[in-house]
Order: sequence, then C-alpha cells, then structure tokens
Amino acid sequence: MKIAQKVLFCFILAIIIIYLLFPFYWALNSSFKTEAQLQMMPATFIPRDPLSGNISFNLINYKSIVQNQEFLYGLINSSIVAISTTLLALVAGSFAGFAIGKLRFRGKQPSMYIILAMTMFPQITVLTGLFAIINALKLEPRFSMILTYMIFTLPFTTWVLATFFKSLPTSILESSQVDGATFFQTFYRILLPLTAPALVTTGLLAFIASWNEYLFALTFTTINPAARTVPVAIAFFTGYIARQEPFGEIMAAAVVVTVPIVVLVLIFQRRIIRGLTAGSVKG
Amino acid sequence: MPKLKLAIREEKTAYKLLLPAFIILIIVAIYPLGTVFYTSLTDKRFAGTEETHFVGFENYKRLLSFTIKELPPVMTSSSLIDKLEQEVDPETGESVYEKAIKILPREPIRYKELAQFNLFEKQYVIGATDPDFIQAIGNTLQFTIISVLFETILGLGIALVVNSNFKGRGAMRAAMLVPWAVITVVSAKIWHWMLQSSRVGLFNTILAKFGIGGGQIAFLSEEIWQIPSMIVIDVWKTTPYMALLLLAGLQIIPMELYEAAAIDGAGKIKQFINITLPLLKPALAVALIFRTLDALRVFDLFQVILGSREYSMATYNYYQLIGNRAMGYSSAIGVIIFIIIFAFAILYIRVLGGVYSSE
Repeated sequence: MKIAQKVLFCFILAIIIIYLLFPFYWALNSSFKTEAQLQMMPATFIPRDPLSGNISFNLINYKSIVQNQEFLYGLINSSIVAISTTLLALVAGSFAGFAIGKLRFRGKQPSMYIILAMTMFPQITVLTGLFAIINALKLEPRFSMILTYMIFTLPFTTWVLATFFKSLPTSILESSQVDGATFFQTFYRILLPLTAPALVTTGLLAFIASWNEYLFALTFTTINPAARTVPVAIAFFTGYIARQEPFGEIMAAAVVVTVPIVVLVLIFQRRIIRGLTAGSVKG
Repeated sequence: MPKLKLAIREEKTAYKLLLPAFIILIIVAIYPLGTVFYTSLTDKRFAGTEETHFVGFENYKRLLSFTIKELPPVMTSSSLIDKLEQEVDPETGESVYEKAIKILPREPIRYKELAQFNLFEKQYVIGATDPDFIQAIGNTLQFTIISVLFETILGLGIALVVNSNFKGRGAMRAAMLVPWAVITVVSAKIWHWMLQSSRVGLFNTILAKFGIGGGQIAFLSEEIWQIPSMIVIDVWKTTPYMALLLLAGLQIIPMELYEAAAIDGAGKIKQFINITLPLLKPALAVALIFRTLDALRVFDLFQVILGSREYSMATYNYYQLIGNRAMGYSSAIGVIIFIIIFAFAILYIRVLGGVYSSE
C-alpha cells in the first residue's frame, strides 16, 4: 500500500514536471533542426535527417541569430532598459518604502493606498496618453521605456520594501537619533545595508518584469526600430530564408534569451518566491 | 520642545523621501490618465492634420451600442399547395431568413452583424456599431473566466502536491518558476510553433497518432479553436505562479491543526474541506484577484499569435491607436478597460488593505 502510494506520487510529480518543462524541450529540439527537418511530418522528438532518419543536430539557426543585427541590438537595448529601470525603481522605491514603512507623518494612510492601488494600474489605459506625450516631446524610445516602466515596477518595489522596513526594529532608528543622526543618515547608513536582501529580491522581480515587457516596447519603437527590445525583435523576426515564419531561428533565439533568465531564477529561487508571495500572505 | 521638533523633522523627511516616487508616478500614470479621459471625449487623430473636435460620449456610444433584432423568415409560395411557407436552402437544407443587413438600423450609425442565434424557433441577429469591440469584450471575458478557473484548480492541485514533504522539493519549486520567468512573447512563439496546423506541429503530430483530426487541426486560424488555444497557453504560463501564491498560503497553516483533526478521526478529504480551504481563503482570494486583473488586460499573447484576426480588449485598443490612428477612439477603449479593472481593484483593496491599515 505504502509503495503504491509512493509510486503514484512520483507519477504525479513527473507529469507536473513534464507539463511545466516540455515546451522548452520542444523549443530546444526545434532550434537544432534545419528548415527541411522542421517541415518533416510527423514532427520528430529529436532532430533527425529527413532521408535516412538518423539523429542529426544542426547549428545553422544559432549561426544565423548571432549574425542577426536586430536580435543583437535587441539584447543590448533590453539590457540597458531593464538595468536602468531596476536601479531607478530601487532608488525611488526604497526612499518611499522607508517613509511609508518607518516614519510617522500626516497623509500616510492615503499615500499607502495610492501606492497599493497603483500596483494594479492597467498600463493599456494610459498607452494613448503616454504615446501622445512621447511624440510631442520627441522622447528617445529607450528613455521613454525606462520612465514608463515605473508604472509597474515602482509601486511594487515601494510596497514590498515598505513591508520590509516595517519589520525592522524601531529601536535602531531611535538609537541613531540619540547619536544625533538625521533620518536620512539613519536611512542610508544603517537601514539600507540591512535591506540588501530585500533589495536583491525586488530588484530581480523588477528586472524580469522589464525584460519581459512588450506593450510599451512595441508601441514606443514603432517609429524607431533600432530601439527595439528583445521581445519586440523576436516578435518581428524575419529569417534570411524568409519563406515563412522562421521558426527554427525563433526557437534558437528563444533558447538564447531563456537560458540566462532560468539560471538567474535557479540561483535566486528562494528570494524570488519570497518576493512574489510578499503581499499575498499576512505577516 | 525637542520631541515636537523631532516629529516635525520626521514628517519633513518623509515628504522628501516620498517626493521622487510621487513625481514619477504623476508623470507616467496620473497625468496621462487625465489626458486619456479627456481625449476619449474627442475625435482626435494621431499625427493627422484634421482639427480635433469635442464629441462628448460619441466614442463610447459607438463602441458599446448593440441591438438584437428578430429576422423574419423568407416566405415563398409552394407550387404544390397554395400556401406560403418558409424558403429552405436547397443545398444545406436550412431555413432561410431575411438578410441581417436589411433588418439592422442604419441611421445615424450603421449596425453591423455580430452574430445570429435561434431561440424558440425564431431567428435573431445581434448587431453592433462596432462588432469588433463587442467581440473583443466577449473574447476577453471568456478568456479571463475560463483560464483563471483552470489556473486555480490546477494551481491548487500542484500546490498541494508540492506542499507535502519529499526529496527534491526545492528543484520542483525552481521548475515551477521557469514558465513564469520566460518572456511572454517567447512562450507565445513556442506554443505558436507547437500548435501549427499540420503535423510539423507537436499537437497535430500527437493527436494524429491517436486518430484525432488527421493532423489538420487549425488551432490558431479556425475561430472555434482560437480562444481555447489562448486559454491553454495562458494556463500553462501562469498556473505555476498561482501555485506558488497558494503554496505560500498553505505553508502558514499550522501542522498541529491537521494532527489534532487526525486524532479526532477526520479523514484527508474532511481535513481539506474543514481546515485547508477556510484557512487558504485569504491567499486564494488574493491570487484570484491578481490573476483576474492580469487576464483582463491580456495583450502579449493575443497580439503575437492572433494579431488582428481576433482581438482582446487590449489588442483592440492598440490597433485603434497604431493601425487606425484614432486617438480619441482608442482612449475611450482605455477608459472602458480602466473602469472594468477599477471595479476589481476596489475588491482587492477591501481584501488586502485591511491587513496593513492597522497601526
């Protein structure tokens, strides 16, 4: 009975893991296929030669994407945008988070509610308004992205960091005041180093969110394709042999941009899970 | 009075620290929101030379007006019996009704056909001034309700499995993060490839092996398969996230409760209904609202795979702005989405706000 239960449990686990990871296996499998191999019917679970049926891996898709200017620019643009967004969100967010989490002031309740409400702000609603401002002021698309990505990164970082600051003992604040330090000095000399773990967590989440963003990136780069980020570049992929959608190259690009994120996630999984579930459970 | 001075200083510092965040949010969210509300009342066009007029609620009227009209049957006199009877299509054998275009109102704005249905032997037509948008609302609601439902059930199942103690639990949790972390556009492309309409695609290959569809199912171009395909992709991408939220909720339930219940002789199912579900309610509510708000504004998935073949509310907004250059009109769509999400947001604050407001 016990063994049967264990086997069933392992079976269920295996199904869940296959369900979660199989699409990546399929992308990896397809990325090693040539156009002819991709068009084989039925599709093969390992790259095989269309004629002989022998296993045959091919790197042509990877060669083609490392020569693809748009994809490489996309990687650079995405890095610039995601890193700058993360830093800006962390600086502004830790300031605001400290004020809300640790300081007493009039209007604290309303500011808290505004921040909380902003975490659910639908970006699509302000798309038209932002696009109008950006075009009127002729703002650079990458700069526009960094600024507008604050809509979904800043309220979240502020909120998570506020809960974190709140959990730090108030005695730290009081004792440094006795020493004559200003609130600001206390904040960046004593409290900020203590929040390093929370900063890493929120920073990672902000980075992933900006790395993945598509709506604003797509809209703001309509006029300037050189500023396209990775998601937009992949969505617009046209292959060298562009008979139809170049799925081989798209799958290779998918593998290339997914691997770093997966590594990041594996290294920081505990922190990420803590950050994701921050606001959803009491305490 | 040093104490009072200190309090004033504290307050001043707080305002200074809040200033950058609020300035940024005013620039990127509050101010554009104001302009969107105003622009939605005009016929403004993007990059056009036309003069902008104030048109009141005309955009909203155009977006949301719909009507249901009965279609009268087409009568012919049968040659055998001298009686009027309904004409029947000789090829399909279906009854013939009057063309919708003749019945739907044309003034002041033309109503176009959205769908037809039959009720109590009578044929009706739904006409709308913008059938694409009404269809987009329908698509989005259908997508939201069904995908959130499946994500909750599957997510709860996975959370319960992962919550039990076993070797390799950490690896399992890491695997759960992977679909969540992957760029939505990338996962949409991977699924697009798997759902190809011939046996070059994974699903048609597998289904054909079981003798289903003959390897010819057009998942992404046939209308009945489009929204279900979107739901399947979204469920795959976000179930793990849902499971993680629920897992966090499960982990704060004290083990002693289960032990006590087991001593009282309560079975696993009884324990689940009487302990797990009620104590999981807050986490469940939050996860549900998070996901619902997200699903309502779905954009990436629809835009990448369906383009302008089938819209969600958000992709329709985008196409009106970029494809049609209709700024006023797309602003009105934005406002409608905002109102729908705002209603859910109020619910969210009711559930969550109480937890933090006590001090």
